[in-house]
Amino acid sequence: MPIEDYNAAAQKIAALLKTLTTTGGLRLKYRITAGAGAGEPDGLEGCEIYVELGGPDAPLLTQRGGELLHALEHVAAKVIRLENEEHDKISFDANNFKAIRAHELKVSAEAAAERVRRTGQPYSFAPMSSRERRLLHLAFRSFEDIETSSVGEGARRFVVAHTKGYDASKLASLQAAAPSFGGGGRGGRGGDRRGSDRRR
Amino acid sequence: MTHEERPDDMQELVTEIARALVDEPEAVIVEAVEREESTVLRLRVAPSDVGKVIGKQGRTARSMRTILGAVSMKHHHRYTLDILEEDKQAAASE
Repeated sequence: MPIEDYNAAAQKIAALLKTLTTTGGLRLKYRITAGAGAGEPDGLEGCEIYVELGGPDAPLLTQRGGELLHALEHVAAKVIRLENEEHDKISFDANNFKAIRAHELKVSAEAAAERVRRTGQPYSFAPMSSRERRLLHLAFRSFEDIETSSVGEGARRFVVAHTKGYDASKLASLQAAAPSFGGGGRGGRGGDRRGSDRRR
Repeated sequence: MTHEERPDDMQELVTEIARALVDEPEAVIVEAVEREESTVLRLRVAPSDVGKVIGKQGRTARSMRTILGAVSMKHHHRYTLDILEEDKQAAASE
């Protein structure tokens, strides 16, 4: 389902953020941009609603790999009734946290492509969230001689860059690289599953 | 305006977030249960909305807890979120 009414969606997100700044007492400022190709700095993700946060409490958002930022983004996506596969249509950022991360991914994609060309061997990245993996796949699109695949399950899933036509059956045995700082984002903390919610 | 001394706000915060997530906002009820070291916020929603506040693999519930955790740090008091599911709700109302 596409976002049918940007205005209504933006108002719902504004109401959610207002709850946090008034009732919740978080000192945050926010700017919401809605519309096709909404104001993401590098435009790589092509999202439709972009929310930029700042203010004295913005550092809380980016702690622990952006845990709170991703939590707000997830709740906002659910409030405007996006299905899980549509979450990329909405993006939250604070103090350029994700923009910087996206740039890091782009730079590491270039370095990895260079290494794969030189060695002919596949290059494994650290485990990452689905959104970061997508950014990586997109970053590799400009290299015609390199392909990318995702390997592993759940929070351990990671991207592998390899030469075009590389035997895909060999990829499954690869290990992920050690997580880098800021890497993984929301992927790493899996513990709190549905079953913990007092089911009987 | 300071919010440091208003724990009722946390109940209100969870209520407002939950109401935005569900299809039947009028069915959202949040009770606060005081424990020694923390306050448990017990969230009830319409049975058809339980999945919406929990989310796939518990991700929406986890996100709400992350938000609650950040806000409760500012209140210098620990709050935890319990989501009561249908069978539990039936038992609680007996």
